[in-house]
Amino acid sequence: MLKLFLWLRYLRKKKIVFLSIAAVALSVGLLIVVASLFTGFINVFEQSAVETIGDVVLTPPIKFGKYPLFIERLERASAVEAATATLSAQGLLYVSKGDVRRVSVLGIEPGRRVKVTAFKRSLLKQKESPGEPSFEVADYPESVGGFVGIGVLAEPDEKTDEYDFDAVEKMFGQRVVLTTGTVIEDSKQEGTEGAGRFKRELVPFRIADIIFTGVYYLDNTFICLPIDELQKTLYPKEDVQIADQIQIKLAGDVDADVAMAEIWGLWRVFAAEQLGWGPYLIRETSVKTAKQMQSQYVAELRKQMGVLLLIFGVVSFSVVVLVFCIFYMIVRLKQRDIAIVKSCGTGSGSVTLIFVGFGVCVGIIGSAIGAVLGYAVTKNINTIEEWIRVIFGLKLWKSSVYMFSKIPSEVDWSSAFAIVLFAVAAAAIGALIPAIVAARTRPVEILRYE
Amino acid sequence: MFFEKVMYKIILAFRYLITRPIAYLAVLAVFLCVFTAVVVMTVLTGLVTDFKQKNRSFVGDCVVGTESLVGFAYYEDFMKILERSDFVEEISAVIKSYSLVSPVGTERSVGVEIMGIDPVKHSRATGFGQTLYYRKNDVSKAFEPIYDANLLGCVIGVDLMLMRDAKSRYFYEASPRERAFSVSCFPLTARGALAKAETGMVNTKIFYYSDNSESGLAREDGSMVYVPFEQAQLLCGMGGGAKRVNAIHIKFKPGVKLQEGCEKVSLLWRKFVEEKGSETQAYLFEKVTVQSWKEYRRGFIAAMEKEQTMMTVMFGLVGITTVFIVLVVFYMIISHKSKDIGILKSIGVSNANIIILFSCFAFLVGFFGSGLGVVVGWRFLVHINGIEDWLFERFGFQLWDRTIYTIGDIPNQVDAKVLAAIILSAIAACMVGSLLPSWQAAKRKPVETLQVAQL
Repeated sequence: MLKLFLWLRYLRKKKIVFLSIAAVALSVGLLIVVASLFTGFINVFEQSAVETIGDVVLTPPIKFGKYPLFIERLERASAVEAATATLSAQGLLYVSKGDVRRVSVLGIEPGRRVKVTAFKRSLLKQKESPGEPSFEVADYPESVGGFVGIGVLAEPDEKTDEYDFDAVEKMFGQRVVLTTGTVIEDSKQEGTEGAGRFKRELVPFRIADIIFTGVYYLDNTFICLPIDELQKTLYPKEDVQIADQIQIKLAGDVDADVAMAEIWGLWRVFAAEQLGWGPYLIRETSVKTAKQMQSQYVAELRKQMGVLLLIFGVVSFSVVVLVFCIFYMIVRLKQRDIAIVKSCGTGSGSVTLIFVGFGVCVGIIGSAIGAVLGYAVTKNINTIEEWIRVIFGLKLWKSSVYMFSKIPSEVDWSSAFAIVLFAVAAAAIGALIPAIVAARTRPVEILRYE
Repeated sequence: MFFEKVMYKIILAFRYLITRPIAYLAVLAVFLCVFTAVVVMTVLTGLVTDFKQKNRSFVGDCVVGTESLVGFAYYEDFMKILERSDFVEEISAVIKSYSLVSPVGTERSVGVEIMGIDPVKHSRATGFGQTLYYRKNDVSKAFEPIYDANLLGCVIGVDLMLMRDAKSRYFYEASPRERAFSVSCFPLTARGALAKAETGMVNTKIFYYSDNSESGLAREDGSMVYVPFEQAQLLCGMGGGAKRVNAIHIKFKPGVKLQEGCEKVSLLWRKFVEEKGSETQAYLFEKVTVQSWKEYRRGFIAAMEKEQTMMTVMFGLVGITTVFIVLVVFYMIISHKSKDIGILKSIGVSNANIIILFSCFAFLVGFFGSGLGVVVGWRFLVHINGIEDWLFERFGFQLWDRTIYTIGDIPNQVDAKVLAAIILSAIAACMVGSLLPSWQAAKRKPVETLQVAQL
């Protein structure tokens, strides 16, 4: 009770204590925002991978046939919910007069793909439509349809970093031409136009829908075509359906390691029996979770977050110094109070506890305010960024630089909790020496008449 | 008289600094902040400066060009005008487009940017020659493969060809291996339509790997293939009739200021456009701009500059704590020195002089704190790469994974301007922190502080 009384009294009487609370709040708030933004970015990065390519990706060293049979076997496995095949290529897309873009071409099965990834959500036109997305183009039933990344068709506004959706939607049904290529056996003499083993193939198609994932690289690079159409173009002589990657969604409660082992087993059998592959090609097949595929970049991002938090943590060490100064001052000014308390029989340990406890109180109040501040800033970071753009004309976040169109705004509670604990400990450490000084006060020296 | 007026303030300020151990804490806080700021801002400024230099080297001083892949015509006439001018040292016409490149004999193909250049002219206008590996000393042979000078060569962005080790070094071979690449482009008409709409639509040509370009710019080194100017012009359909290019890169003569040079080019360009207004392809001039290298690469540079600004703002926020510390320390010292202040005022020292006295003290705290921070920060920076090497060898820790980032050594050249800004900010923060306590000290009346009860 005495401790509580003294804490409240010092808090009320010594306004300077609020400075230490403000300093703790500032440091805690800043560290929470930094940690949350980094963690949010990493989470969105990992999540976008899962939403784009599924939970597990199987990539053989070369393209392979009979993929529907393998998918059928996969979907019978307990660990797998759904699977889909893709066939990829690189190409150039002629969009309109004077506008040519380089693109990554993905042959997909739209019906299956929506079961494995969040693909449908990214289609501007068909995301609200019932049923599976389709490559059919309204008014052009005979034409080949394709999905094109929004960034391939338009650039985001320089100031707002937003796309002009009205203008982009006018491109539905527009005819574009893709040039891609495939290897031909009857190579001519090299060095002349049109020669070479790599033969160009042209695929004119109409834009059936536009992809907007919010991930700049995907929106700016990818176009999707029906896998059968792409196969017909690239490998016209193949009589079986071929793919170069299988993307897999795992069943809800299955362990990823167990699932990967099961997928490996199925692939080994399939590749040996159906494709006639030897051990080398089978061994060279990569089966990885989407998170494993991003792990190198995620590790780098986590390291950068650590370095940044360390830097700000070192600077925030000033908080310990500040708390020390303030508490030392209070102890020096309140020597008489301390002497009276001790003369009433309070032990040195209890006096130490009064000040250390007060330090902890300062830490708790400061970090609570800091946590609220950090939460508010993180949650409203996109609004704040927009204000900065409007007021100062400075666009801090651009999808072309930071990958995503929105700043991740989820608070990283585990980091926030660690930062709060660290701040409370720092405040207690700052109060420790003044508390020992107070405990060593001798009432007989302080309270004597002279 | 002046000496006496000033001396006591300095002596007292030093005396407070030396005799009050609590003042060391304020110095410590300033030191911590300055040390961290010097290290972080030096590294960050170094990265930004290095990035800017690489961009300037890549672009030259000024670019007359268009983003449109169609390009613009009559460029040869404008180049003659530029050559005649007294402020232009070198110019280089450039073709830029996208192409599909595939190593002959493989199924792989990759969409890249191609740049058609005259290697000699382009090396004079930009730093292209210095980015080469095998032909650095003889740029004229950049497109002549060492293994067969008769073959048509291409220079490939280093990240498209070679891997980097953990120290950001590429695995170059003694001479380039014989490799052929099939390069395909959409030839476009002056109106932007497909030039070969009725036939194959694309132009394809085989080029042989002759060298690598290591510009230090991740985007360019990972996506750019350089081919001879004339070949690029033909591939992109810009060679027939009125020949077209996408850009002219310009280097100014020494002593010509960037802004001044760009304005002169702009003026020449406007005149040229007026003169050529009646030509059949004059409409292509509408999209042509004259930009300095900074404007031309603004999209890339601005991102790094913004990060630098954000970091500065964050340091500013954290630095507020230092202001608080100085305030508290001064508050403590002043509360203990009320008798000194009373005596000073009783012998005629004015309120303003009391404030100046404590401001002097604050200056000393800021000066010594930031001085210490700068010295320790500088020593740390001198050894920062050695420390990183040691950490990497012992613990596998690198500040940046060099296999991901195209960063060599950690920049450690201290920028005098940055240093001055940090020191001044630290001293200013100390003086701001001391202002309120000094004001309170100045307001105290000697009659109150010197009465027997207070003594």
